[in-house]
Amino acid sequence: MPILTFTAQKFLRLGLLLLAVAIFTFVLLSLSPIDPVQAYIGADMMQISPEQQQLIAERWGLDQPMVVRFWDWLGQLLQGNLGTSIVYNQPVVEVIATRFWLSLQMLAIAWLLSGILGLGLGILAGALAGSWIDRIIRLYAYTLASSPTFWVALLLLITFSVSLKVTPICCAAPPGVLTADVTIWQHLHHLLLPSITLSIIGIANITLHTRQKLIDVLHSDYILFAHAQGETLWGVIRYHGFRNLILPALTLQFASLSELFGGSVLVEQVFAYPGLGEATVQAALRSDIPLLVGIVFFSALFVYSGNTLADLAYPIVDPRIRIGGH
Amino acid sequence: MSCKNQSFLGSLGAILFGIVLASCDSAPTESADVSEPNASSQSGSEEQIILAIGGESEEGYDPTLGWGRYGSPLFQSTLLKRDADLNIVNDLATDYSVSEDGLTWTVTIREDAVFSDGEPLTATDVAYTFNQAADSGGLTDVTVLAEAIAIDDTTVELRLSQPQSTFVNRLITLGIVPEHAHGPDYARTPIGSGPYQLVQWDEGQQLIVDANPNYYGTAPGIERLVFLFVEEDAAFAAVKAGEAQVASVPQSLAVQAVEGMTLYDVDSVDNRGLMFPYVPASAGETTPNGDPIGDDVTADLAIRQAVNYAIDRQALVEGVLEGYGSVAYGPVSGLAWEEPSAAIEDAQPETAQEILAAGGWTDGDGDGVLEKDSLTAEFTLLYPANDSTRQALALSVAEMLKPIGIQANVAGKSWDEIKPAMHSNVVLFGWGSHDQTEMYNLYHSQAAQGDFYNAGYYANQAIDKTLDLAMGASSEAEAIAFWQAAQWDGEMGFTAKGDAAWAWLVNLDHTYFVNDCLNIGQPQVEPHGHGWPITANIAKWEWTCN
Repeated sequence: MPILTFTAQKFLRLGLLLLAVAIFTFVLLSLSPIDPVQAYIGADMMQISPEQQQLIAERWGLDQPMVVRFWDWLGQLLQGNLGTSIVYNQPVVEVIATRFWLSLQMLAIAWLLSGILGLGLGILAGALAGSWIDRIIRLYAYTLASSPTFWVALLLLITFSVSLKVTPICCAAPPGVLTADVTIWQHLHHLLLPSITLSIIGIANITLHTRQKLIDVLHSDYILFAHAQGETLWGVIRYHGFRNLILPALTLQFASLSELFGGSVLVEQVFAYPGLGEATVQAALRSDIPLLVGIVFFSALFVYSGNTLADLAYPIVDPRIRIGGH
Repeated sequence: MSCKNQSFLGSLGAILFGIVLASCDSAPTESADVSEPNASSQSGSEEQIILAIGGESEEGYDPTLGWGRYGSPLFQSTLLKRDADLNIVNDLATDYSVSEDGLTWTVTIREDAVFSDGEPLTATDVAYTFNQAADSGGLTDVTVLAEAIAIDDTTVELRLSQPQSTFVNRLITLGIVPEHAHGPDYARTPIGSGPYQLVQWDEGQQLIVDANPNYYGTAPGIERLVFLFVEEDAAFAAVKAGEAQVASVPQSLAVQAVEGMTLYDVDSVDNRGLMFPYVPASAGETTPNGDPIGDDVTADLAIRQAVNYAIDRQALVEGVLEGYGSVAYGPVSGLAWEEPSAAIEDAQPETAQEILAAGGWTDGDGDGVLEKDSLTAEFTLLYPANDSTRQALALSVAEMLKPIGIQANVAGKSWDEIKPAMHSNVVLFGWGSHDQTEMYNLYHSQAAQGDFYNAGYYANQAIDKTLDLAMGASSEAEAIAFWQAAQWDGEMGFTAKGDAAWAWLVNLDHTYFVNDCLNIGQPQVEPHGHGWPITANIAKWEWTCN
């Protein structure tokens, strides 16, 4: 029964969240001074007659008032249709699917890297607290935590792509090569720098929290007892510390999905990587409401799932937080 | 729950922050190198060249939505086209005629054209394309078409609701689509009778096309084209790395020499000019949106003409455009319908001062700015703040006007701010098209409806009449005499000698680096839009090295 209540609550909250997100995005974008029709026409303004502008507005339903458009959109959404993107002239779902696939690879690598590196560095720093290794790791973490992503991205780009020429400067594949002929190594080669840049966002946070948690654990009575029984430092961490310190790391790791998602917009701009971030920028600059609402919707879902996964992972790690509390 | 809300808002904030940053478009790729570590195999050949000239059509490659309005439509072919000198020549059409009343255009098409899927191209496809384009809200304006009807397999009749001589531009730009294969997916899987066919489109990255073996014309000289969609800085880097064989670069980068590449400095009608509010503000008129119209100072002909005569356009070309440009005295420089006698002797502050004095403007209080009655010779000059070329032009113009006693207050704003202010302030606009419709909309009094069309509310009944005659003529050749007369007919016109509704300044040259081994023929005078227009004759490009 508690499981059912838990699930029902989660879905109810998700539903309310998505509705609020949809209304906010829709209203804010409708009030923005960017006229989607004129953004679409651009420099061809002098060749497009008012009649044609009217046709363009009708094609996207922009001749209707905002409230009507919102209800139409909501009605379509309930049937599973997110609408058609103005910029890409393609169903929003398809736009998001093709672009998110590219972003996902980058996000996944970045997420794993930041989790593993963050946890590893945090344990190392916490176990050797006060040593020079700890100091170096802390310096590294504080520096990263206070550096903006796009700035780090530019530095890496200038160092590795421009000066050292070991990584490509743009895109997700080498130019002039058919998809079928792109090797997995070329693919990874193009993913490398964006992923590393993005992973930096999460590392510092996880490292510092894990370090602090481990120091707390190491100062507890049961650790003292374990030491008294002759357990080594690494044995203590392995058998008594790990389960405790993984909880904050796990929370941060899943919560960082939102920052990763936001960071990817910047990173994709800098590396000219054609993922969802690029589409987000286009959608906003050209007042493509269906696409932007779709992307915001999707990102909300993405982040919410991440947090729910974290919720579900806690009981596995720590039996004390199981639902029903046995 | 609160935790989740926060993290979500965090992500939204990050996205918005990203948008703000990205819209500033920090060009991070300066002097960068696009080279792959093992990219030596990627130099050009007759099998493949790489072009970094931008021009990606995000909504796909459907001519009925506006694809191919300048440059080559690649996948499709058009009824007519313009040659290097912008003369109209046949492509799919073998002949066309316009009825006496200008309402019916009859076009006969060639019999040997087939689509890349092997189906023959018939008059039905032509009629379908035009009807479809007239209904679809895209970037090609065929609203004047009442209906298109296929008379037989090779004859199509285009019936217009009113005569329109510029309709010939639709025959030139509208690529014919196959009725049997046209649908919502067409834009991403284009099929046509053009010189190339789609191989792969990686959205946001590159477009790969191969020569179409079914093409009815001379087989293209290059087998495969790869269009790389990167920023100008990255394009320049690709050129320097020897990776791209053609690249469009901004004038500021064109001054650098690149080994093995020739700089093509292509003339264009990509113009920049000052639009003057034509009516006085004291009339108190407003646009349908309630924005104010008019300016008392620029409503004075003496001011508008003096500005035209005082500006040293050649100095703007040399100083602002690094020499990669030409002077402009009207909106259609270098095109067949330009009136040569409309040009004036500019850089003449003395002439400007005489005009001002004759117009009653004097410097009564000795502050260096002229006055007339209660008016001071002063106006605000707006330019879009994100365009550094326009900024430099605006500031230079203001400097040139100071000695003659006209004070131009330069202000950079976003288009959203300029739009409500553009009917009551001088604005530095840029236009330029092969379609005369643009000239009509810039100057016809009926076009002024509170939008970009005739933003200054210029109104001269005689000019309206001449423009209407040009629009209603039955052929471009016949219309040209009227288009020219509207500019300057010896007694009146909208250019500097006449009403001086604008002060046109310069045309930007479009600069390209082209590999020495690549012969791209003679480029056309290009319209507004740097990049894709160079593809107009791409089927004739040849690789000359082995």
